[in-house]
Amino acid sequence: MIWLMIFSMAAIVFISRHLLLEPKLPLRLSKGTQTFLSYSAPAVLTAIFAPIVFVQEGTLDLSLENSYLICAVVATVLALVTRNTLLTTVLSMGLFFVIH
Amino acid sequence: MTTDKPIEPDVYPAHPTKAKAFLKGTIAMMPLTIAVVPWGILAGSFAIEVGLTPIESQAMSAIIFAGAAQLVALGMVKAGIGLWSILITTLLITSRHLLYAMAMRSQISPLPLKWRLTLGFLLTDELFAIANQGKLHKFDPWYALGGGLSFYIGWNIATLLGIVAGNAIENLGELGLDFAIAATFIALVVPTVKKPSILVCVLVSLSLAVVCAAFEIQAGLLIAAIAGMTAGVLYAKITKEDERKILNPLANSQTETDAHSERKADATTQPEGKI
Repeated sequence: MIWLMIFSMAAIVFISRHLLLEPKLPLRLSKGTQTFLSYSAPAVLTAIFAPIVFVQEGTLDLSLENSYLICAVVATVLALVTRNTLLTTVLSMGLFFVIH
Repeated sequence: MTTDKPIEPDVYPAHPTKAKAFLKGTIAMMPLTIAVVPWGILAGSFAIEVGLTPIESQAMSAIIFAGAAQLVALGMVKAGIGLWSILITTLLITSRHLLYAMAMRSQISPLPLKWRLTLGFLLTDELFAIANQGKLHKFDPWYALGGGLSFYIGWNIATLLGIVAGNAIENLGELGLDFAIAATFIALVVPTVKKPSILVCVLVSLSLAVVCAAFEIQAGLLIAAIAGMTAGVLYAKITKEDERKILNPLANSQTETDAHSERKADATTQPEGKI
């Protein structure tokens, strides 16, 4: 059962990554589509991290008790000020493990 | 993988040697490879906690190679949810890769099959972030391979650490290793916010993702992401963001400064300003 899950998940993930790289797929990207796609990374990544930060145990948590939220704000400020990915992740994660 | 694969030397003249480009990609990816370590530890230890064998736990990272999908699937196994539901959820989570592949299509699809298969397998959020630099930068497959492969190795070593730790340490899940996901993605998203329309896109996606999560809507990720993208495009159209740029090159840097300060203002008011 676990192996079946692993291989079928792997197939789904690989197909989703590879399918549109295939030149035989007769797909042309219009200017509009390309513009739309330029927003994909910020939109998708935000949709993944936002619930981790704002939702604790199934409910919205905007309190100062929410160490995820505090450290996420710190990470955002660090990213803006330093523009350094490594510094941002390491410092905000360090702070998180101290206060969590 | 295929680091020694022969390739027409005159096709990619942007870098003097393949090894140099490979190394450059590895170095560009390094911050993200380091940042993924806690997340990989989480994936390995959680798999053990759910009851997978060490081999199965490692195989998830080695064969599937998709952090978010792996963690969600493990949560569903733990909850006793059936295979079909797990696969449909995987499809939802991984569907963003369709968008990445489409964005990278013009650069990767002319390459030989081996390259397409390899880069396709390695196409993660992180690789997309470092390799998809737009039309200004020439795409180098060796650069992408260096980034993708080093990230794959880092992810699997971290998973192994998690498997070992998961066997040895109790309650590893309470450490909050999932914050690593948030920290990484924030560090990836913030630099992409270069104009107001992207800020709009991020805020819409963020709000909807949070609302969907609070109401336990399974397709929240897709709903939020597509709504965010649509909002960004519409905002750019209504404000004629791109036309301004073409008419006046100076407006471009002005717009960037605007986005920068807006984002900063947002960060400081984040707790109240969001929902």
